[in-house]
Amino acid sequence: MARYAMVIDQERCVGCQSCAVACKSEWDVPNGFARTRVRQAGVTGSFPRLTSAFYVSQCNHCDRPTCVPACPTGATYQDANGIVRVDRELCIGCGSCVAACPYGARYVSPTLGKVDKCDFCASRVEKGLDPACVATCPAHAKIFGNLEDTSSDVFRMVYREGAKRLESSEVAIGPNVYYRGKPEHADMLLASFPLQMPRTIAAGKVWAKVANKLVYFAIGATFLGQAVAFFRQLAAGEKQFED
Amino acid sequence: MQAHAIPEFPLPLSPDQAEAMAQRQIKKHHVAIVLLHWFNAIVWMLELSTGSALIVAPAYRFMPWWYLSMMAGIFGSRANMLRFHIAVGLLWIIVFLVYAIFGFRNYLHQEVLRREIALDHDDFDWLRIRLLRLLGRSQAALPKQGVYNAGQKMFALLVYSAVPFIMITGLIMTFHLGTALVAWSMVLHFLLVGMVVSGLMIHVYMGAVFPEERQAFYSMITGMVNELYAYRHHFKWWREIRINEEAWRQEWMGEYSQDKTLPSHTGDRAPLVPENAEADARNSGEGVPS
Amino acid sequence: MSTKISRRGFLKGSTTVAALAGGGTALAEPRVPGWRGETRVEQIATNCEMCFWRCGVMAEVADGKVLKLQGNPHHPLTKGQLCARGNAGTQLLYDPDRLKYPLIRTGKRGEGKFRRASWVEALDLFASRLKDLKDKYGAESVAFFPHGVAAGFFATLMRAYGTPNSAEPAFAQCRGPRDVGYQLTFGRAVNSPEPVDLEEARAIVLIGSHIGENVFTSQVTNFITGLQRGAKLVVVDPRFSTAASKADFWLPIKPGTDIALLLAWMNVLVSEKLYDADYIQRYASGMKELEEHVNQFPPEWAEPITEISAAQIRDTAHLMAEARPAVAIHPGRHTTWYGDDTQRARAMAILTALLGAYGRKGGMFLPSKLRPGRIPLPSFPESQKGRADGGGSQYPLAGEESQGLTQSLVQATMTGHPYPIKGWVVYGQNVLESIPQRQNTLQAIEQLEFMAVVDVLPVEQTRYADLVLPEATYLERYDPPAVVTTAKRPYIAIRQPAIEPLHESKPGWWITKQMAQRLGLENYFPWKDPEEHLARLLQPMNVNLTELKSLGAVSFDGHPYIEDRTDEDGPLFPTQSGQIELVSSVLADLHFDPLPKFTPPDQPPDGYLRLIYGRAPVHSFARTENNSWLNDLMPENQVWIHSQIAAKFGITNGMKVVLENQDGVRSLPIAVRATEGIRSDCAYMVHGFGTLAAGLRNAYKKGASDTQLITRVAIDPIMGGTGMRVNFVRLVRAEAGRS
Repeated sequence: MARYAMVIDQERCVGCQSCAVACKSEWDVPNGFARTRVRQAGVTGSFPRLTSAFYVSQCNHCDRPTCVPACPTGATYQDANGIVRVDRELCIGCGSCVAACPYGARYVSPTLGKVDKCDFCASRVEKGLDPACVATCPAHAKIFGNLEDTSSDVFRMVYREGAKRLESSEVAIGPNVYYRGKPEHADMLLASFPLQMPRTIAAGKVWAKVANKLVYFAIGATFLGQAVAFFRQLAAGEKQFED
Repeated sequence: MQAHAIPEFPLPLSPDQAEAMAQRQIKKHHVAIVLLHWFNAIVWMLELSTGSALIVAPAYRFMPWWYLSMMAGIFGSRANMLRFHIAVGLLWIIVFLVYAIFGFRNYLHQEVLRREIALDHDDFDWLRIRLLRLLGRSQAALPKQGVYNAGQKMFALLVYSAVPFIMITGLIMTFHLGTALVAWSMVLHFLLVGMVVSGLMIHVYMGAVFPEERQAFYSMITGMVNELYAYRHHFKWWREIRINEEAWRQEWMGEYSQDKTLPSHTGDRAPLVPENAEADARNSGEGVPS
Repeated sequence: MSTKISRRGFLKGSTTVAALAGGGTALAEPRVPGWRGETRVEQIATNCEMCFWRCGVMAEVADGKVLKLQGNPHHPLTKGQLCARGNAGTQLLYDPDRLKYPLIRTGKRGEGKFRRASWVEALDLFASRLKDLKDKYGAESVAFFPHGVAAGFFATLMRAYGTPNSAEPAFAQCRGPRDVGYQLTFGRAVNSPEPVDLEEARAIVLIGSHIGENVFTSQVTNFITGLQRGAKLVVVDPRFSTAASKADFWLPIKPGTDIALLLAWMNVLVSEKLYDADYIQRYASGMKELEEHVNQFPPEWAEPITEISAAQIRDTAHLMAEARPAVAIHPGRHTTWYGDDTQRARAMAILTALLGAYGRKGGMFLPSKLRPGRIPLPSFPESQKGRADGGGSQYPLAGEESQGLTQSLVQATMTGHPYPIKGWVVYGQNVLESIPQRQNTLQAIEQLEFMAVVDVLPVEQTRYADLVLPEATYLERYDPPAVVTTAKRPYIAIRQPAIEPLHESKPGWWITKQMAQRLGLENYFPWKDPEEHLARLLQPMNVNLTELKSLGAVSFDGHPYIEDRTDEDGPLFPTQSGQIELVSSVLADLHFDPLPKFTPPDQPPDGYLRLIYGRAPVHSFARTENNSWLNDLMPENQVWIHSQIAAKFGITNGMKVVLENQDGVRSLPIAVRATEGIRSDCAYMVHGFGTLAAGLRNAYKKGASDTQLITRVAIDPIMGGTGMRVNFVRLVRAEAGRS
């Protein structure tokens, strides 16, 4: 039992994309998609007073993930260690969860026909290794650990040194990837890459609002009709056909 | 002597006539149809029970949580259950494909389509009167029907139009033929299945519970119904068969067809134009020429 | 995470035991268990060649396939970190566009028509053509264009063959000026990896260096460590680089005026008596002349020249003084900018000395000797004609063998002076995309009677070759080991194959030995295979080959700081005088300025911007653009221009433009990045894009090539380097006609 989390140290990160490629290599992420991405916020300001920061983003394994309830088959779930995972055998790749994520962390893999995303390298972590991105980072800008371990670096950074969550007033689902560094750098990330409201895909809306109601109605009406017919049949006696 | 005319409307029968007709079996369903029907029934039971257990998201869920847990427990995991659902679905599609290729003459023929699906004037009247009778608003007799009555034709229509799309959407989801396609397939699959299930509820009730249709149930086992049932419930079909029989008898026996002392394959048939037609019809509540 | 083998714990263990063992003996540590999913994999330790830092790599291999590359935690320099390019090495290995088998030209040179040949036929042809050229014109008529340690074996062959003409872009297009400048001052070239003590620094000064976009794994690690420990950062760059975004002071200097800034800094340190007087007194000579010289250059003088305020110049000088001697002034790496680059390097070296930082903690540390075994070889033939590139004569300070001048060899080939060069052997160098003034290179190639190219990818020059030989990638071959002295713990690192060469590619050592046989030069390669060669190198160092193969690298005790030095390390400052030469006697003797002076560079004409270029963290020069993963992250480059300039020309962010230089040469279309983060007199792009090699299907004509626009160079008269930031471009809208 654990609660895994990651801290991105923005003052350390140089935006070199080593983490993105290590992850791509570890998990065969197809070209055009990413489990973890590095994007630049800025350059903002006016010459020569300028700032920029790097936004390292991936699945945040949120406390209250919006993707888990969005999945029709229940393929996406949160395990006992807080890692949000995708059961590839249950996933049909409908994309409901992709639209439900405010951080854009998921994608439908064209090679698998299923949804893929960062899972904190769960299978590496089980064997006592760091996630691939953490292991490769030349700047040691990604720190990974268990928030329930009070002696861990992540515990200290989150609870004693004020590492920030990227949340807005509309979307506050408790992401477990934190950002530490100059406050203006974290603010730049939210400004440049605003969180999207979790969406339901069009098909999902039709399902919930139309299809479900139609089917309930149809079956309900039929059942009622059947009940009426049955009782009338009983009342009318055994109107047996002469066999 | 009266000629052996085949009536155009069902007329009241004497008890002896009814008894005689009740003894005689007419073939209603080809053996392939019988097998396919039960295959279909089993498939639908399996697919409905597993399919409804696969919808987990609270916004879309159809069955209560204890049902989902129970089903997951039975299969070991939901992934296993999905695999099972897909396997059975694929088997279903393959069997129907085989039938489609080799048996298309059985269903693509114009006559067959007319019998099974096409709604005529009598069918619409039947539907109207049936509904009113259910609501207790009418005591009228039902119009004559072909081999399948209007209700059965409606169900056939529903199934024939929904099932190909249930199959296609299932295939789209199984082989992930595009994310947006999969998403819409999910909804369509559920919706169409739901519609068929409502029809299915009536179908099962009529077949298994409703006593008047007991013969229909047996016909899905033996392939046969008795002549009296046909005469009462599917008169137009009964009439077609009788006309064919007579035509065959004429042809076979030729000049001897009128000689009643000779045996005929149709056996001793009750006279077809009874006396006191009107009075009897009123008593038995069967069709009266309007 | 108690079961995790933490990097820190591991490293502590290894260095402690190594120290106890008296250095040199490697540890019998267990390998990190190899797994991939549920499959056991074999882990082969080697080093990377996606750039030239040679970070330690563990290749995970199963069933003859390399599944993944990870950093090697045992590597003393990189300690398990690996950058984006290193991680993408498998995509070079499995690049479908790789050269697969030997090719012999069938059509006209440049047509690109080849036929497949067997190795026997190809090597026979190669050897016979080399013999012909030697007979007809002398061995000097063959010029060798190698790159890197991988060409080491073949370089020996070329020396044995008898040609003195060998040049890598590393000297005249890259590190040459700073190596010569620091050598003149301290007696040592800077070398690679640069011995800058970033992690211990209390102030870091980057002049042009864009660490973070220029990624050398351990350099990034040390840079960030230093910053995290509180080092102040001064970045001098016309562009707001990643490093600039972390700086305490970003000085957006007017390009070409760095020497003025350096002189002004020296002025502050000297006039305010902030320099390390003890250190200078002990170790340096020429202080009086230096004082007189820099007194002429106060910050107020430098302000209008550099467009940096005098106050900032003073503040940054004070910052350095406060932090001394732990001031890491990075000497740079690619330093061939404006033609006065050796003098600029001299200025940086002098500044380093004034701060007392050379040989001190937090400044620049000293290399430690390693003594690999020597394999006795017959002596190499002396050339009567001498070098054709003017090294050692026209350019007296480019006299070493490693200091070949590529562009001069091109000139010699073009003109036939001082003597005809009729054959080129290009080994892992990309002559058309690294050497400036391509028009000359193409003309030179037309003069050749024979051109052989040994390469991994079908870069542009393969189209012009007579013979193309497919070399195996670094993951499939042995190379000479990396012998690194400019690390705090010097080390030897192996490069060994992870899998057998794919297709019909062959490792360089095999090609070399095959050629040696054919040329009668076997005596220069008295070893059976690279393992024997390695074993003989390692023998006097008390390292056995098995240990090295298992761990990937073995490190030894180093003496990085002056206080650690022993007699065995040799003189502290191996100059002629044995002291730090603030005033360079060598330069004086050669009639160059003994102390750096500022000469203003040419300014861009009206409507033009100065073209400057640099690196991206996901690419290495022009060699990775075809890599499937790296191409996915960055398929093309952009041209950075100031937003106001963009607005003035009606260009919006993302719009495609064509760059036209002062000679009318036009680039391919390139997207604009309109930003506040660059001076309004510059246009910046990442080097290495816009290749015209049609065989590189992912990279072909993507983005624009800066090399194609560098038609003018400013030659550094001291060592022959080609200053390349002297071209000016204007922006033309990519739709027809409009500008």
